[in-house]
Amino acid sequence: MIITKKKDFQELMENIKNYRSFFLIGCSECASLCGTGSEEAIKELTEALQSEGKEVTGGFVPKTGCQVLGTKKELKAFKDQLAETDCILVMSCGAGTQTAVELFPDKPVYPTNDSLFLGNMTRFQMFDERCSLCGQCILDRTGGICPVTTCPKGLLNGPCGGMQDGHCEVSPDIPCAWVRIYERMKKLDKLEELRESVLDAKDWSHAQKPRALSTREKKEKK
Amino acid sequence: MSFREALDSGKFVVTAEVGPPKGTDIDEMIHHIELLKGKVDAVNFTDNQSAVMRMNSLAGCKIALEHGVEPILQMTCRDRNRIGLQSDLLGAYALGVRNVLCMTGDHVSAGDHKGAKPVYDLESVQLLKVVDALNNGKDMEGNDLKGSTDFFQGAVVTPEANPLEPQLIKFEKKVKAGARFFQTQAIYDIEKFKDFMKYARRFPVKVLAGLVVLKSAGMAKFLNNFVPGIVVPEELIEELKAAGKEKALDTGLNICARHIRQLKDEGICDGVHIMAIGMEDKVPEILERAGLL
Repeated sequence: MIITKKKDFQELMENIKNYRSFFLIGCSECASLCGTGSEEAIKELTEALQSEGKEVTGGFVPKTGCQVLGTKKELKAFKDQLAETDCILVMSCGAGTQTAVELFPDKPVYPTNDSLFLGNMTRFQMFDERCSLCGQCILDRTGGICPVTTCPKGLLNGPCGGMQDGHCEVSPDIPCAWVRIYERMKKLDKLEELRESVLDAKDWSHAQKPRALSTREKKEKK
Repeated sequence: MSFREALDSGKFVVTAEVGPPKGTDIDEMIHHIELLKGKVDAVNFTDNQSAVMRMNSLAGCKIALEHGVEPILQMTCRDRNRIGLQSDLLGAYALGVRNVLCMTGDHVSAGDHKGAKPVYDLESVQLLKVVDALNNGKDMEGNDLKGSTDFFQGAVVTPEANPLEPQLIKFEKKVKAGARFFQTQAIYDIEKFKDFMKYARRFPVKVLAGLVVLKSAGMAKFLNNFVPGIVVPEELIEELKAAGKEKALDTGLNICARHIRQLKDEGICDGVHIMAIGMEDKVPEILERAGLL
């Protein structure tokens, strides 16, 4: 899921100081699990804005904020509130914010969150990054552990000289990705495979921005 | 005799290390180059070591050449992508640099520009393959070069890494990728190093034992606690302690010289790489005490 974190409230207030009334849009997926775009988060922000003398015309948690057409359909029920709103606040990730930007070409749209990374939820509201969407998955070569993401240097062929007692030179809180890979491959009796596998430099053209994908099949002409 | 020829001849080779200055004042660097001239086989020029921004390694190498000292260009993957690395390698060769040490490079978080974007487009194994390609007249994409390089390429290894096996697997990958010589992370336990060399001797590469001069018991403890892959045995710490504050450095120089002598006399490895870290002035004295001058 996409991990988000609330922006500092004072920073948010500075960003929206020129507007008076707001409509809040959350998201029932990632941002709800992160506690940044849930019903409770909307309620909390509504109260905070009101205590600063702002008006909140309404709020809604769409099912999937990054799904443009679905969100558009869901927001139709709030047409009147939206019409009388100065500014829209989006309480999901950057993708959700840009759904709103597309749906409301005439209204200012502001994010209330910072979007951090693609994460795994390890415990309630604890997340860590395991995949960086590089576009060229090598998990098949690394025992299912991603060094592109979990090694701060993204090394592809083994640990650097900074590894100490199995952790990373960047922080003792980071386990060395290559020691983890080594241990897993050893457990799976695949050390020979690891020894033989020299990975070439990644082809970063697969990650060239902006990325787009269509898996629609072309309709046959009747 | 060049560094490469010296290693090939079976001579016990000595290299030292100079860090280019933070700034444009090169007087001290030239002083160190002159001091090492004729006393060592080659001098490494570090590449923004510990991720602290300094003058680049290539400028240091060029200045060394002008003063008649053979340089080893240290090249890390931290600050340049594959285009920058290859381009700098071609430039280095054109300027007369013949030895290159391929390294990953300390993370930017260790240095003085912590907000820098770390590059690591390539890493040490891949960089070695790139040097091999350039030596064969091709860039890493297989495009022809007008004039190829003829680098003598090396890499680093940490014989006391813990756990060790992942490091050894990488060492073997570096050998396969074309590394011809290795300079090791600092070692202090010669008996343990002999075990590593027994293993390393299975591969067609030359190995120079890395030596960092101990200035005091405190420094030894610091290395043990904070520098990955360095283990100073307790008896050396005791020896430094027993020497007292005033004699500690002298004892550190003796330890270094003693290790060099043993490594050479017992034919344990092919040479030593002395990392004096701020005590470049003392390198000739160490070599004298080791009986190499």
